[in-house]
Amino acid sequence: MSILREFYHNATDNVLNRRLINDIMPTKTKSFWQKKLEEIERSKSGTNADYDSWKKRTLDPWNEKTHFSPAEYTNSSGFDLKEIYTSKDIPNDYEKKRLGMPGEYPFTRGIYPNMYRGKRWTMRMFSGFGTPEDTNHRLRYLIKHGETGLSIAFDMPTLYGYDCTNERAEGEVGKCGVNVSSLKDMEVIFKGIDLSKVSTSMTINAPAAVLTAMYAVVAQKKNIPIEMLAGTVQADILKEYIAQKEWIYPPEAHIRLIRDMMVFCTNNMPKWNYISISGYHIREAGASALQELAFTLADGFFYVDLGLQAGLEIKRFAPRLSFFFNSSINFFEEIAKLRAARRIWAEVLKEKYGVTDKRSLGLKFHTQTSGYTLTWQQPLNNIVRTTIEGMAAVLGGTQSLHTNSYDEAWALPSEDAVKVALRTQQIISEESGIPDVIDPLGGSYYLEWLTDKMVEETYRYFEQIDRLGGILEAVKKGYIQKEIAATSYKRQIRLEQGKETMVGANKYVDEDEKPISILRISRKAEKAQVARLKSVKSKRNELHVQKTLLDLENAMRTENENTFPYIMKAVEAYATLEEISNVGRKVFGEWKEPIIV
Amino acid sequence: MKINEIISGVLRGDKTSISRAISIVEGEPGSKNSRMLMEKIYKNIGNAHIIGITGPPGIGKSTLIGRLSGIITNSGKRVSIVAIDASSPFSGGAFLGNRIRMQESLARNGIFMRSIASRGMEGGLTASIWETVKILDAGGSDYIIVETVGAGQSDIEVVNLAHTVIVVLGPGLGDQIQALKAGIMEIASIFVVNKIDLPGAYIAIKDLQDTLAMSPQKGWKIPVLGVNSLDGTGFDELISSIGAHMDYIQTNDNAKEEIIKKELKVIAMEELRRSFERKMNAFLSDQKNGEILIKGSVNIYQIVDSILHDDKE
Amino acid sequence: MLGERSSVNGKNQSLFKDRPIKILLAKPGIDGHDRGIFVLSKAFRDAGMEVIYPGLLPKPEDVVEIAVNEDVDVIALSLLNGAHLTVFKKVVDIMKKRGIKDIAVVGGGTIPDEDKPKLEKMGITGNYGPGTPLSVIIEHVKKRAEEARKLKMA
Repeated sequence: MSILREFYHNATDNVLNRRLINDIMPTKTKSFWQKKLEEIERSKSGTNADYDSWKKRTLDPWNEKTHFSPAEYTNSSGFDLKEIYTSKDIPNDYEKKRLGMPGEYPFTRGIYPNMYRGKRWTMRMFSGFGTPEDTNHRLRYLIKHGETGLSIAFDMPTLYGYDCTNERAEGEVGKCGVNVSSLKDMEVIFKGIDLSKVSTSMTINAPAAVLTAMYAVVAQKKNIPIEMLAGTVQADILKEYIAQKEWIYPPEAHIRLIRDMMVFCTNNMPKWNYISISGYHIREAGASALQELAFTLADGFFYVDLGLQAGLEIKRFAPRLSFFFNSSINFFEEIAKLRAARRIWAEVLKEKYGVTDKRSLGLKFHTQTSGYTLTWQQPLNNIVRTTIEGMAAVLGGTQSLHTNSYDEAWALPSEDAVKVALRTQQIISEESGIPDVIDPLGGSYYLEWLTDKMVEETYRYFEQIDRLGGILEAVKKGYIQKEIAATSYKRQIRLEQGKETMVGANKYVDEDEKPISILRISRKAEKAQVARLKSVKSKRNELHVQKTLLDLENAMRTENENTFPYIMKAVEAYATLEEISNVGRKVFGEWKEPIIV
Repeated sequence: MKINEIISGVLRGDKTSISRAISIVEGEPGSKNSRMLMEKIYKNIGNAHIIGITGPPGIGKSTLIGRLSGIITNSGKRVSIVAIDASSPFSGGAFLGNRIRMQESLARNGIFMRSIASRGMEGGLTASIWETVKILDAGGSDYIIVETVGAGQSDIEVVNLAHTVIVVLGPGLGDQIQALKAGIMEIASIFVVNKIDLPGAYIAIKDLQDTLAMSPQKGWKIPVLGVNSLDGTGFDELISSIGAHMDYIQTNDNAKEEIIKKELKVIAMEELRRSFERKMNAFLSDQKNGEILIKGSVNIYQIVDSILHDDKE
Repeated sequence: MLGERSSVNGKNQSLFKDRPIKILLAKPGIDGHDRGIFVLSKAFRDAGMEVIYPGLLPKPEDVVEIAVNEDVDVIALSLLNGAHLTVFKKVVDIMKKRGIKDIAVVGGGTIPDEDKPKLEKMGITGNYGPGTPLSVIIEHVKKRAEEARKLKMA
């Protein structure tokens, strides 16, 4: 200590002084999460005498007599499951404080008072492949068959901010979604579709601002005021670094661009949900249900902080944040996860952020059934899987749902398969009776125990993430990615060992089965796109394009300037996606991920 | 590839040959090919300056190496990197060199990088890395950076081969010094405290300076530098310290002699180890000896003596 | 199999006999789906191999450069974005141009059956899809590594 003190006195540099003070006297108070965990611990009823005596009286003798040796019962989140749950497994004050009623804090049972009686979930099916013309055709087909919201997927070059003419785009154009290289492509995609009447969800992240700007400009050109535009862009860049890995710049740069879009849309596009905080990809990357829940909500609170730092009022932007969860195959675990998500969001916003506005406290989400659980083997089994997963999403209170097509394990879905997937939702909605009563599984001892456990373990993760310096730091250090990779490897080994089952894939296998036929995107899409881009470039006013790009560059270099209007100007001048992205590449550099394995 | 092709390729600086030559010394240590290779290239070595870099995991060695190698390459010199990664004690497998490879500057500058798994080798590792370094030297590298995680005894042996040894530490020094094997502090030519932007870094520098002030230093005065590998802060000082240390070695006969002695010791020890291993294996594979061991009629020290002095090979 | 050490034990094996199988895993296209490649990296490591995975978005040239520097036995390419015919080909073309014949190339990802003969013709074998047992993949890599070692000796 004496050396430190001496150094401290000798130091003249103020910065140094401040650093030394931090070094010597780190602050230590109990975190919000620690307090929440203690609260949960206190509310537990301790031993469960009913269960214990039943086990001794009836279960154990039975098992002994029948020579039954219990296998390992656990779920993806790694929770050990008992044979049965009783009221004693539920905390004392649970119903009043943590369950509540629909449309009331903490929203565990649903965010709207009348839920599906008032409004069914939106049936939103992903489309987007090949050329913009193909996608336009598919969108019109779905609208004709009763789909109530459009959802567009983009190809890899678009997602990474490359034009179809880039060397790296070769062979990838139109493969996993539709290619958009310039405003022209967006004009084709929405040809003949009234943008004031539809809500459009675009699965786009790193270049989200550019695609949003394109959508807005398409509307403007059709004389539709941008105030009327309804829809969602994903724009959740944190989960890109965590799971989907479709980034362009380092995290701070993307976060800044998202901030600009948040501010612009809050002020100018009131029906546009600018961030869809996505657990879906985190789950698909191999996370457990718990990890999906914890990491996604941690991302959510990060964006809340971002909005606050940008000077936005929480009740003006929190209702515009929506979530996007995965619904996987473990039925109760998924329902519990979705219910827990609502409760955590409400609890934390109220208790940590002091939010009282009801619309901000209610967590809205879109759900998609799991792609990972689909098998290429015996593909019709996938319809059953998707049905179970879709039901879990509805029982979990989702606001919109995408059901996967049975052929998606292998390629982009065929039209017939998409129709079955949509029909699956319609059957759940209109035949099953599931939506008739709100939160019909509420009060199930098992489900309520599981929901509470999900919340508790999420808070434990939050505590750990905070210790690493917050979610951004945890992601930059690769911690979150490592956690997911470890879970995913463990599950793979369990599958190999037959401890987990995938029907048709590792059990009840049909010998000599060949993969089902697939929708192939020919290289024609690429050629057509390349031709269109060339024509766009030859027709535009080059001087004007370069001027808008230069203005954008200056805006990007000025931390407090909002870049969004500049992106709109560049888009309108038919600057291409890659040209616009390259401005950022020049200003911010590109990102290289930390090591995961 | 034939061994003669490989040898002439190495001397030409051909990457494929250099790479294959390394595979030989790494994959069949002490073999006829490996010996011939080393002898043939020996006259062409001695031009490269070898920089050993060690320090605890997570301290940012890879980023530092990425930046350092980029700067040296930009000055027109050829840099190669040898990175040692720990093998899994369970399977013997390993993840190799990934952290350094992540550094953008490597691909951009065409820097040759080779990673080597430690494979739990006792001693053998040092020799094969030494040979790897010599192959790179003969292949025309001006600078060779050898990176290890400063945790085990063999790591110390490895960096000890270097002309300039850089020990990288970070803020919050206490635990790191604990984690480093005793001895690593003694072989440093330069101390670097990375992540100078973080709290605790300045205390770390001060602590190191105080520790050094208490131990007698003759000749080379060990500098303690603060750097930030992410933004390049402090790299000018680092480069000039490496340069100063090179000059020191080149102009100081004692230092030169030390280095040659170290090299001699490594080669000699490795030859001894290999020859003893052969004797040991011969002894163990003789069934009669097994019976003697089990019976316990001969004292274990006497057995060791008789193996050591068994001259027939 | 998992947990078993993988050194190449072919007959007349003298080159790098002490070295385990060395494998480079890469996704050389614009494709961020890395769940599978992480699982495989760990599985190969646990099967006793020395594993190099250089992260996302390496260019085909980088993949070959790393393979040469590290003198790997096998390059394992994976893509789930449907661009395998174009992008895998770039890698083998660069290898051909550089005269590299003693490194085996295996493939994986969402590869339709009808593409497999085309890939095999380029010398890319395996071409396993999702859901393939790890043991099958590991066995195949061992077999190809052994072939590569023999060529390295010739």
